[in-house]
Amino acid sequence: MRVNEGLAALSQRRLLIVTGKGGTGKTTIAAALGLLSARQGIDTVVIELGETPLLPRLLSDDPATLQTDGGRDPIQLAPHLFTLRIVPEVALIEYLELQLRVRRIVNAVVRNKGFRRMLDAAPGWRALITLGKLWYLQSRMQGERPRWPLLIVDGPATGHGISFLSVPKVVLDSVQLGPLRRHTDWVQDLLQDPQRTLVLPVTLAEELPVSETLELCARMAGLGMTIGPVIANAVEPGPELPQLETVLSTLARLTPPARDAPLLDPELLRTCVEYRVRRSSLQRGFLKQLERGCGSSIVSLPYLVRAIENPASLAPLAKHLKRALAGWEMPA
Amino acid sequence: MSETPWLEHQILVIVGTGGVGKTTVSAALGLEAARRGKRVLVLTIDPARRLGDALGIELGHEPHSIPGAVLRAAGIEASGEFVAMMLDTKQTFDDLVRRYSPDEEALERILTNPIYQNLTDALAGSREYSAMESLHQLHSAGEYDLIVLDTPPSSHALEFLDAPRRLTGFLQSDLLKLLFRPALALGRTGFRLFRFGSATVLRALEMVTGLGFLRAISDFLLAFESMLEGFTERARATEALLRDPICGFVLVVGPDPEQARRAEDFWKRLQQERVHLLGLVMNRVRTWPGRGRTPELGTAEAKQLTEQLTKELAKRDPGFEPEQAARELVATLTQQALLARRDAEVGARLEEAIGLSPEAVRKIPLFSEDVHALEGLRRMASHLFEEARDV
Repeated sequence: MRVNEGLAALSQRRLLIVTGKGGTGKTTIAAALGLLSARQGIDTVVIELGETPLLPRLLSDDPATLQTDGGRDPIQLAPHLFTLRIVPEVALIEYLELQLRVRRIVNAVVRNKGFRRMLDAAPGWRALITLGKLWYLQSRMQGERPRWPLLIVDGPATGHGISFLSVPKVVLDSVQLGPLRRHTDWVQDLLQDPQRTLVLPVTLAEELPVSETLELCARMAGLGMTIGPVIANAVEPGPELPQLETVLSTLARLTPPARDAPLLDPELLRTCVEYRVRRSSLQRGFLKQLERGCGSSIVSLPYLVRAIENPASLAPLAKHLKRALAGWEMPA
Repeated sequence: MSETPWLEHQILVIVGTGGVGKTTVSAALGLEAARRGKRVLVLTIDPARRLGDALGIELGHEPHSIPGAVLRAAGIEASGEFVAMMLDTKQTFDDLVRRYSPDEEALERILTNPIYQNLTDALAGSREYSAMESLHQLHSAGEYDLIVLDTPPSSHALEFLDAPRRLTGFLQSDLLKLLFRPALALGRTGFRLFRFGSATVLRALEMVTGLGFLRAISDFLLAFESMLEGFTERARATEALLRDPICGFVLVVGPDPEQARRAEDFWKRLQQERVHLLGLVMNRVRTWPGRGRTPELGTAEAKQLTEQLTKELAKRDPGFEPEQAARELVATLTQQALLARRDAEVGARLEEAIGLSPEAVRKIPLFSEDVHALEGLRRMASHLFEEARDV
């Protein structure tokens, strides 16, 4: 098999954070990426942070996988392929148990009414504990090797993504000493190490998603994090008509449609083609703007008509992603 | 569902999951109201700078009126006024803190607190809270006939409704009172005061977080605590405003099955919240440009059509390979039909699921031009309102 260097370079990281505006296809891309790295024999955990589990259905046909959702440990879905939905409350208890060791005290803390109300509104703790859990997972060893060599996170939508990833810095700015400081240092080291962590923005070739992605890239650089490939999803290819003008003018000379063949309508054909040409050139413009602004290479994926909701419909996306990643190079 | 026409409300709250075009729909609604002679404010939270560019202004925390000349240049004769504003969470909070601080010292303490400075955005529901706060303030000022609120993009769909409750619930928690009220009385944060709480819990927390963090948090909370009364009162008023019949909610959704599914949940939860739901805007719908129903084009039909078209093109001595061109043209047609059918199905399923009357659903086609320009917003409005069509 031919070595796909782009994919190999990505799979050598420890943590890939897929982020982007809602509706850009973040989740399916995280899932497809997980599929590709698992196929290379790398134990991959695709992680989600939302309130409802989306990944098990995308990555497995077995409905039983949903029943173990939201626990502490990754669930296996296929050879080398695992998933986990990190629930901050669950991760917090796990963390408290690791720190306090005495279950009775942990119980007293988490049952405390005031503590629970504080959690309900306290700034940033969900992000912090989630990032801490990611650090913990990547630090687990099995003999000489990492137990989870690759974590792929279906991250929060951009706006939330930026504040999500800036929480460690805020903690470090305000806490000088103690275990929290030490643990947050570890998390920050992981996030800022380009050999281990990359952020993968997913966007559409549309105006607002592109401007948000540019903002995201700038903010990530400000946090000392490295952007991996920027994935432009659902790009509509233009019609392959090299002599477009001649084709259109020939169409104009055709006779209007016969009653029995209403689709052989020159006007209808022209409308459809022109629409596609305009859409595609509009999108190309946005992609250029993105390429200029974000300083990382763009990986384009074509628009797929079929809705992606299970492994069978995910497979074509994975195929396109693999092909598109082949040319990607880790920036120097 | 409310019987009042959409633009006859004093407030329109535009909700929906991220990436469906809430901001542009909000702007288009505002533009149409201005065309009808209303003084309109479109309040956006999304850092949609490009929207400001399209409107020809630097959109910022201050309300900004779009000059009539700019609107006229885009073919819009507005007898009202169109004002846009981009909300800044941090500034809204700073304003709030200034308003409710009991004294200079408390003000200084909170504005310089590192947690406050860096985490206003991450504080649970703070974006949503500041949106609600600004809405309330701008509405009571009574300067506008209509305020269109473009809500924050959020996967936690209803966070903006919960925000006032969560924030004040937190500030009123027993733990806080227990921990910080005595400190307030002493005029400074004394860590000795932790013994007033449950000793085990506090010692455990301290062990996990270290002293510095608890101190920063407690300073932050202490400062906020002093403003509690103002916050609570305001939050209550805002909640009441959102349920008032003068305030209508419009849900924006894209024609994607997953988005439609989430929109359905969202709608049901809004119903439980007993706000006034006006209807649904389905944005970026792919339509069939031909007459009549969207055809079903299978492989056999496409093949036949390609053959016929090849023949027709060849007759014209076109100077290009007719078969290849015909194949590509028919593929384009097939693609369009497929997308139009899919979008129509998604729409129909959603309408049925939430039981909407046809007039409560407005569809906007996917434009192939840049829709953020004023001209695009005007076209969008013409799809939202029948009456705007002949403008």
